[in-house]
Amino acid sequence: MTPAGLLMAALGLFWGLGGTIWLLSHRRYTLRQVPQFFMDLLGFPVELAQSMFGRVGVPYALLLPNMLIFGFFTFLPMILNLYVSMTGGGSIALFDRPFVGFEKYADLFDCETIFSPRTCSNPGYNFWTGMFNTLWFVLIQVPALCVVALLTALVVNQNIRGRGFWRAMFFYPVMLSPVVIANIWNWVLHRKGALNAAIGETREGLSLLAGVAGFDMVMTVLMAVLLLLASERTLRAQDDPSTAWAAVFGLLFALVCGWAAPLSLMGLSGSFWLGVALAGALVWLVSSGHRLARAAVIGAGIVSVLLLLMVQFDAVFDFGRYRPINWLVTPNTGWPFFWLVFVFCWSHMGFYMLILLAGLQAIPRDLYEAAKMDATKPFRAFWRITLPLIMPTLTVVIVLSLIRSFQIFDEVYLLTGGGPGRETFMVVQNIYEVAFAKDIPDYGQAAAGSVLMAIVIAVFTFFQLWITRRQSEL
Amino acid sequence: MSIATFLTRTRGNRDTAQPFGVQDFLAYGYLVLGVLIILVPVLWTFFSSIKSEVAVDSFDTRVLPMAQVEAEIDGVGPKPVWIHTAPDGTRTEVFKAGPTRMMTEVARLAAPEDVYEVPRDELAPKEEVRVAVENYLDPLLKRNGQENFHFATYLYNSVFVTVAATLITLLINAMAAFALSKYRFPGRLTFTLLIVATLLIPASIILVSLFFVVWSFGIFGSLWGVIIPAAATPTGVFLLRQYMLTIPDELLEAARMDAASEWRIFWRIIIPLSLPALSVLAILSVIWRWNDFLWPLIVLISDPNKHTLQLGLTQFAGEFNSDFHYILAMTVVTLIPITLVFVWLQRFITTGIATTGLK
Repeated sequence: MTPAGLLMAALGLFWGLGGTIWLLSHRRYTLRQVPQFFMDLLGFPVELAQSMFGRVGVPYALLLPNMLIFGFFTFLPMILNLYVSMTGGGSIALFDRPFVGFEKYADLFDCETIFSPRTCSNPGYNFWTGMFNTLWFVLIQVPALCVVALLTALVVNQNIRGRGFWRAMFFYPVMLSPVVIANIWNWVLHRKGALNAAIGETREGLSLLAGVAGFDMVMTVLMAVLLLLASERTLRAQDDPSTAWAAVFGLLFALVCGWAAPLSLMGLSGSFWLGVALAGALVWLVSSGHRLARAAVIGAGIVSVLLLLMVQFDAVFDFGRYRPINWLVTPNTGWPFFWLVFVFCWSHMGFYMLILLAGLQAIPRDLYEAAKMDATKPFRAFWRITLPLIMPTLTVVIVLSLIRSFQIFDEVYLLTGGGPGRETFMVVQNIYEVAFAKDIPDYGQAAAGSVLMAIVIAVFTFFQLWITRRQSEL
Repeated sequence: MSIATFLTRTRGNRDTAQPFGVQDFLAYGYLVLGVLIILVPVLWTFFSSIKSEVAVDSFDTRVLPMAQVEAEIDGVGPKPVWIHTAPDGTRTEVFKAGPTRMMTEVARLAAPEDVYEVPRDELAPKEEVRVAVENYLDPLLKRNGQENFHFATYLYNSVFVTVAATLITLLINAMAAFALSKYRFPGRLTFTLLIVATLLIPASIILVSLFFVVWSFGIFGSLWGVIIPAAATPTGVFLLRQYMLTIPDELLEAARMDAASEWRIFWRIIIPLSLPALSVLAILSVIWRWNDFLWPLIVLISDPNKHTLQLGLTQFAGEFNSDFHYILAMTVVTLIPITLVFVWLQRFITTGIATTGLK
């Protein structure tokens, strides 16, 4: 038994036995008061503190267990980290470890240039690869998560039916454990899994449909009618075009642009994204109440008629045979990284959505009514009312998701194991593997890595708080 | 009233009701899409887990669990049944009497001796809908003869860790919050700042040296090594403190008049009055402990009898990594308890987290 274990046993004995004796000698209990007795025994240190020091001692006794655990299991390890990172060897007994000074840090910084981990020594390569991957992950993940969570919260906050149902559905993945999430997505993203099957069947179906005689005629007419309807609806309001209908119009416009592929005349691809960009600009013009909005909608309508005339659907829909992608394993495609971001968003979004939703519901309704009186555009109302008032909540969400995504381990470890190669190798996995998964554990190295990671997280958090300090004072 | 008005109107009388506009369509479209993205993978996993081994291994993408019918044939034994469709459209039930080639030898079920040859592409498996219960029962009842999924042990460990950690968390966090909210004493600010500071120390940073500390306490490798280090949560202290600040001091004074000790005040007045906040913290703590992975992986991995459900499932998936039918079934088994809790308490959970809004 270790000294600390002995101490715990002695403490337990003192509490149980000493407490019983003390209580029985100070108070009388009838048989019916046995539960009362055990309740008092549980708080025996507090009772003892009160009888010894009076009421002054009570808060310290109440704080004691919490602060003991914080002290031993949070602050002590924090300080020990510095010590462990300066010792070497594989011994578990703290004081058997030889002191090596800054050698472990020197190993990590043993690089020609830090910004290309390939030039580093072996531990340095692993650590910096993990660090840069994690930084990339955080930079992509946090904005994506916040935008999706805010968008979902805004939609759920609308005047919709069954708000509780939607809220619960979006929150459900938060309850699932990482292992279950990893197994589910492994199954879906398998090379012969559901996603590849769905994509393959959709493409086959579309190719088949496009081959049917007269399909392009029907589609052209259908799109023309839809575009006509959407643009008419957009422009119907007397004063300003309606934003929601402009969004529908923009979506149709982007689809037509993607199908007609005007850029392919110049031998370029990516027409769909051009269409998306143009549609986005259009929606922005309309929603900010720009005076050119009407003209822009009419112009986009004319352009889309031209585009429709040059559409050749059967050529566009001929995808050829779909070759299933091994989403989580194929190197140099970026897919493993993309799916990690996606799965992380999938499993954590609901939590941040709930917090943002609570923030949104705290915004007084009168503000929106006043804005409505002044005929404010929805976009402007969002920019001037919603965003400033949600900023404190959003700051909390950003800080929390930042810290959480920095520590990402479970999902990556279980889904890709850091692969393919080292594409999704994260810094916590590096720490875990160096300290606990190797044949010869190198605790010093892992601790040095943890200290560097702590510094990076601290810098990020303070930088972030400093940027948003003005908003969070609101 | 036209049909369009009837279909698109919403709640309220004629004057106040907003028509069901395009904005609502966009909103519902977004929500339905989101719920599909969330539910389809989970449901797909469930539907796959009740398929037969052959169907899972061949990545059958039909929703229903189709399995090939087997028949007992006299003098041959059990054989999968195929349907032979002759060029003239007649269908006969046959079984394969030889290896599958361009021309495959088959025989009718009724006459096993009468072997004849048919082209391979005229044969189709005869299928029926059958729920493959064995995916669940084999690992749970240890019927497949290998190192198995000790569901009862894992569930017990998970439940023990979750319940014990939650109870300890509730008790000590409530005590700390009581001290910080209802007493004025020298050092109160220091303690508050110390607790804030722990909010900024993520668990994965102190992983290595926490391992040393837990080891020297002698609780490494036991369930207590998972329970104790995470028992004190800064989130919990602040959540409870905010709530206890709203309890009037007069109640405490009245109890002191009656010569109640401070501990009894805490137990008899403060705890019952802060039950709403306590239950929110209980829910949060259950979610954290139940889904915890990295720290149990370090502390408990070497002893299979101490594995939690999450660890057990990871080990199981590692050992049977080609037997997807078992992995999927055990994933569903692991998913069921927390799903039931969620379905039961969902309104409470979502409103609780929304009102506290931290971590």
